[in-house]
Amino acid sequence: MKEKPGGVRHSGGGKATAVDTLEPEGGKDRHMLPVWFFVGVILLVYGVLILATGILEFSQPPPTVLSSLHPAIWWGALLVVIGAVYVHLFRPRKSEKQ
Amino acid sequence: MTSQIISLRAVDIAIIAVYFAMVLGIGFYLKKYTQSGEDFFLAGREMSAWVAGLSFLSANLGALELMGWAAAAYQYGILATHWYWVGAIPAMLFLGVVMMPFYYISKTHSVPGYLQLRYGESTRFLGAFCFAFMTILMSGINMYAMALVMKVVLGWNIHFSIWVSSLTVGIYVALGGLFSAIFNEVLQFFLIWLGALLIPILGLLEAGGWSGVVARVHQNFPQGDYTHLWRTMGSFADNPMGIHWTGIVFGLGWVISFGYWTTDFLVVQRVLAAKDIRAAKLAPIIGSYFKMAVPFIVILPGLLGLAVLPFRLAPESAVGPGQHSYNEVLPLMLARYCGPGLLGLGITALIAGFMSGMAGNVSAFATVWTYDLYRPFLRKDASDAHYVLMGRWCTILGVLISIGTAYLVMQFKSIMDYVQALFSFFIAPLFGTVLLGMLSKRVTPAGGFWGLLAGTVASISMYALVKMNHSLLALIALSSNAKDMAENMYRGLWSWLICVFVTVAVSAFTRPKPVAELTGLVYGATDLPSEGHLPVAKRPIFWAGLAFALFLVLQWIFW
Repeated sequence: MKEKPGGVRHSGGGKATAVDTLEPEGGKDRHMLPVWFFVGVILLVYGVLILATGILEFSQPPPTVLSSLHPAIWWGALLVVIGAVYVHLFRPRKSEKQ
Repeated sequence: MTSQIISLRAVDIAIIAVYFAMVLGIGFYLKKYTQSGEDFFLAGREMSAWVAGLSFLSANLGALELMGWAAAAYQYGILATHWYWVGAIPAMLFLGVVMMPFYYISKTHSVPGYLQLRYGESTRFLGAFCFAFMTILMSGINMYAMALVMKVVLGWNIHFSIWVSSLTVGIYVALGGLFSAIFNEVLQFFLIWLGALLIPILGLLEAGGWSGVVARVHQNFPQGDYTHLWRTMGSFADNPMGIHWTGIVFGLGWVISFGYWTTDFLVVQRVLAAKDIRAAKLAPIIGSYFKMAVPFIVILPGLLGLAVLPFRLAPESAVGPGQHSYNEVLPLMLARYCGPGLLGLGITALIAGFMSGMAGNVSAFATVWTYDLYRPFLRKDASDAHYVLMGRWCTILGVLISIGTAYLVMQFKSIMDYVQALFSFFIAPLFGTVLLGMLSKRVTPAGGFWGLLAGTVASISMYALVKMNHSLLALIALSSNAKDMAENMYRGLWSWLICVFVTVAVSAFTRPKPVAELTGLVYGATDLPSEGHLPVAKRPIFWAGLAFALFLVLQWIFW
């Protein structure tokens, strides 16, 4: 947060407090897993479940419209690919833990 | 009430269970990172533009967005898209380009916090009180809508749905604060899109593309025009919404939309968590691109319902035995195309939508209560740890009050209209107060307070007057043909105008604050950081311009 053109300021009904004008601490190093990793994990799990269901039901598709296209298979595969890419890109790495 | 639409298999239940485990797991994981007030209420102010932008949009994708607007699309046709395009995109871009710098540079923690800095404690109290009230009502509405859907779609007990989902939200927000809410909102964003996207894809395949959808809708419903955005807006009587283009452009496109997207703390809070001013400006701009695409997963399924369903849906109030209501169009389309596994994903998308909206309400309520009501008016000098603890308890309390509200709104006839009425009560005048405060140094603290109060009281009064004497509708909404939606748009417009008029009038007779006290708060008294050193492709204004051009092209295509 480098932009601080305001400087010291007074509020309309009284003095601005520390809580009113929260200053970021800066330089935090939390080693928190990125949100994208969690996204990847859940999409990967869902992809595997849906793809497996699609394969198991390949010979007897559910009674839905356009079931002949086997949407569970290609949608499940898509989720597996997206999930795997996210997990791979944002997985925890040893160098980041140090 | 009809019988349930969908029966879930073991794989579907497993998918839903994984979702609940994941959101709770994220809450527990993030608890250790949520120590200070800044962590709990502002997610440490370290979110990237993408995370803040997706969370910003996800918090808006609540139950009413998914279910309500799919139903509205079945009822009103493509006109419902106005709420996503003219009713969102210009306002989101305005927030990013014009207003966000002031919110961010002022280092405020909330919109009522900005009101305090600009106008003083009394205006902050009014804004915070109205917001807290509206947020709890909205949260209850969200919860009720979810439980109703679960009952109709899956046959789940309505009380079970309310308690399980709301307590889950309460736990993960109480544990990880805004960190947890934002992380889960990004997760929910992906699930909503990937769970709902199959419906329009398969629907378009079945109908033979967009031209096939249009042809089938015209064939099935020859009496109305359901596929043009603006062509039927010349007269109140020519379109199923009973609204004139002036209501859409000035009421929705200006007052309601700008009010919601630029002053509703529920969404603004997500952008305040951005790591720097460029990320804060980019977040709503990134969100605008996805917002433009949301009609593909919400409006198009409603239109596909008109095109391909072999039976007709009815209004909620007129559903007979064996019939389905407009509100069930999205689950019906889901059941039409999705088998086991995909059904679980689709239902998870709905639950994710409900929970993201609810988490948005609860986390914003906890912040406004703790920092804008509890701290200044009840306990001024407590430690940071005390306020974090208050935020955690307030989250649980907010959930419990929302549950009570959910039971109250069960009797309300039209949830969507109720929400729009709430917006026009509080959000429309607030937009006038914040906008004038940011753009004019001459507006005084007294002007801001009395303008906000006058606009809010006027809006509630207009609503009450029309309820007592329906003939007044012709005066407020400019036509006796106006429907509830149109009335809300015009009421919002009038209350905004009253707010602006009173603010300007009172300011003319009262003393403004010295310019030195307005630094960082008002245009003309603030040195905005230059972006001249950045390459064009990294400047927020470039992406905002591109989004606006895309928005105009969409209006032209679907005119």
